[in-house]
Amino acid sequence: MTTTLHSDLRLAWQLTRGSDRREWWRITLTATGAALATGLMLAAVSLATLRGRYQVSVGAGLLNQPGTRAGVIVSLLLLLVPVLGFLGQCARIGAVHRDRRLAVLRLAGATPWQVRRIAALETGLACLLGSAVATVFSVLLLLRLWDHPTAPAWTGLALIAVGVPGLGAAAGALALRRVVTSPLGWVRRSGPRTGRGPGLLFVAGMLLLTVAALLAVAATSSGAPYRPGPPPPLMVLGAVMAVGAGAIWLSGAAARLTGRVIAARARSASTLIAAERLRDDPWAAARTHAAVLLVTVVGTGFVGVRQMLLEVLDSPRHLSENQSFYTTGLDLTAVALALALAITLSGLAVGTAESLATRRRGLAAQAAAGVPRTVLGRALLLETALPLAPAVLLSGAGGATIGFGYALFADGGGWSLPWTSLLVPPAVYAACLLAAATALPLLRRTIRPAELRYT
Amino acid sequence: MSIGDNTAGPLLAGRGLVKAHGRTEALRGASVDLRAGEILAVTGASGSGKSTLVHCLSGIVRPDAGSVTYAGLRLEELPEKRLSELRRTDFGVVFQFGQLIPELTVLDNVALPLMLAGTDRGRARSAAGEWLERFGVRGQAELRPGEMSGGQAQRAALARALVTGPKVVFADEPTGALDSLASEQVMTALVHTAREAGTAVLLITHDAQVAAYADREVQLRDGAVAPLGVTA
Repeated sequence: MTTTLHSDLRLAWQLTRGSDRREWWRITLTATGAALATGLMLAAVSLATLRGRYQVSVGAGLLNQPGTRAGVIVSLLLLLVPVLGFLGQCARIGAVHRDRRLAVLRLAGATPWQVRRIAALETGLACLLGSAVATVFSVLLLLRLWDHPTAPAWTGLALIAVGVPGLGAAAGALALRRVVTSPLGWVRRSGPRTGRGPGLLFVAGMLLLTVAALLAVAATSSGAPYRPGPPPPLMVLGAVMAVGAGAIWLSGAAARLTGRVIAARARSASTLIAAERLRDDPWAAARTHAAVLLVTVVGTGFVGVRQMLLEVLDSPRHLSENQSFYTTGLDLTAVALALALAITLSGLAVGTAESLATRRRGLAAQAAAGVPRTVLGRALLLETALPLAPAVLLSGAGGATIGFGYALFADGGGWSLPWTSLLVPPAVYAACLLAAATALPLLRRTIRPAELRYT
Repeated sequence: MSIGDNTAGPLLAGRGLVKAHGRTEALRGASVDLRAGEILAVTGASGSGKSTLVHCLSGIVRPDAGSVTYAGLRLEELPEKRLSELRRTDFGVVFQFGQLIPELTVLDNVALPLMLAGTDRGRARSAAGEWLERFGVRGQAELRPGEMSGGQAQRAALARALVTGPKVVFADEPTGALDSLASEQVMTALVHTAREAGTAVLLITHDAQVAAYADREVQLRDGAVAPLGVTA
């Protein structure tokens, strides 16, 4: 067994080393995603090992108190959601190229499980590279900020440095769980492509939330003196799982519904092509679109809440307080949101480019048969635009409700309504279309007649 | 001169075509004529330049040297947009596979060229249905291409190539991935429909049985038309 793993690992390493330029892009992007994930997790773990009050030289005092520190940890963990979405997209790039290679492995006698394991190890190696780079920089930074990091901090660092590549490999295997590679190069997905979406994850998250809520009710209604409520990590984990899975489900369902409704009424060729693609595989971009929804909800809500909080800080009642403590927190949140949006848009651009690369021969044949490039380009953009329109509208409305609710009811109410927050959803939507449009130059290359020469 | 006038010379003519892919010369001065309503088979060994010839003649690629004339139009002088329009209206293209969009139903696939030409979807689908009927795959109209057999998919591809009433159909190894029975069905359908509609067909094949359906055969060897009697 060890020998087999060793030989699979060596084969994965040889395949990675022998990759062409397109594959190196995938490896670089995967390593970048893994580095981001490692960095965020290391920061969260390092902060989580602190107990009580500390004097931390960065963060304008936000990291000094346990309460605000917990908020920063949660934010760092939430930032992992778009990073993981980005990593998921990276795993999909170059699928055609990889699939052909896997078929050759099958032809050479590898079992389906071996093929999956080799592909997973390839992803794991890319993650190891990213994780190693992020760990080195994180340790150097940690030693500058913290004279004597504690044993739990070092343990956490080591676990994450090793765990991220392991998780990457597991995610790679998971991504290929429905892919059956035949020795003759025919790669298909087993089982229905529409599936049930991330329903189980959603249910698990909701269960965790319910358990946490019951614990909270039990803790507060017993009449006993104050006791801590549900364990915060459990609550956060449940919330993240439920919200993430719910957003993915919503994105997939919105794509399928939009595709179904529009395909039946499409009048133009580009709309018909885009709608049918959505109907055929609504889950293709669900993870990235889910990240867009989350960024829209949180971003819209944040702009509203921020406006109200700044007004509160400017009010006579709070003038004596240390304002930089709060404004730094708000600014850091804004930076985190901007980072989340940037990662999400990168994932969207990567996903769109991957979708083109996967279909390049078919697209070249369409162009050769006279389908104008503008029609193919418009269809590509509509694949992003159509499902995101209702989803962004809905999530924007949700975020605006949070902002307006704060203005109307928080701290006695009566604050001015955050109308500017309504600009966030259209801005995010426009940014998404621009991100998808970055793949259009690739379309020109994709439909080159040379593609017709290769199967 | 009207397009398709049989007495006024070839409908499509390639003269002295030269095309290189990198350092490999695929065509070395090939010349081919196609008359209106004629079925011409271009045969030759693998690597002899057959596919490159069809790409040059249909305006998919521009030759490095030589000229392609279609109904008085010099294709190498036309802008890309006009060439694309020509392939949509006057030419039909059938490849070994890949020309049907996998996500669309077969009916929508066949209706697509008409929609691109401005026909509304209802009428386009209705016309597409008639063409599918003609090719014997009406019953598969609401299936996706991946749900059909190879032969059925090729017949649907032929329906798509012919639905706009093209003057020329370029068929590049249309039966290359099919068994002999499916090949026969596809070729019978193509030849019968082309004869009925007066459509010229430029058929690329390496299969002598498929070439036998043509009125005339030319052989390519090393990127040029071989003299009669010389085999590749």
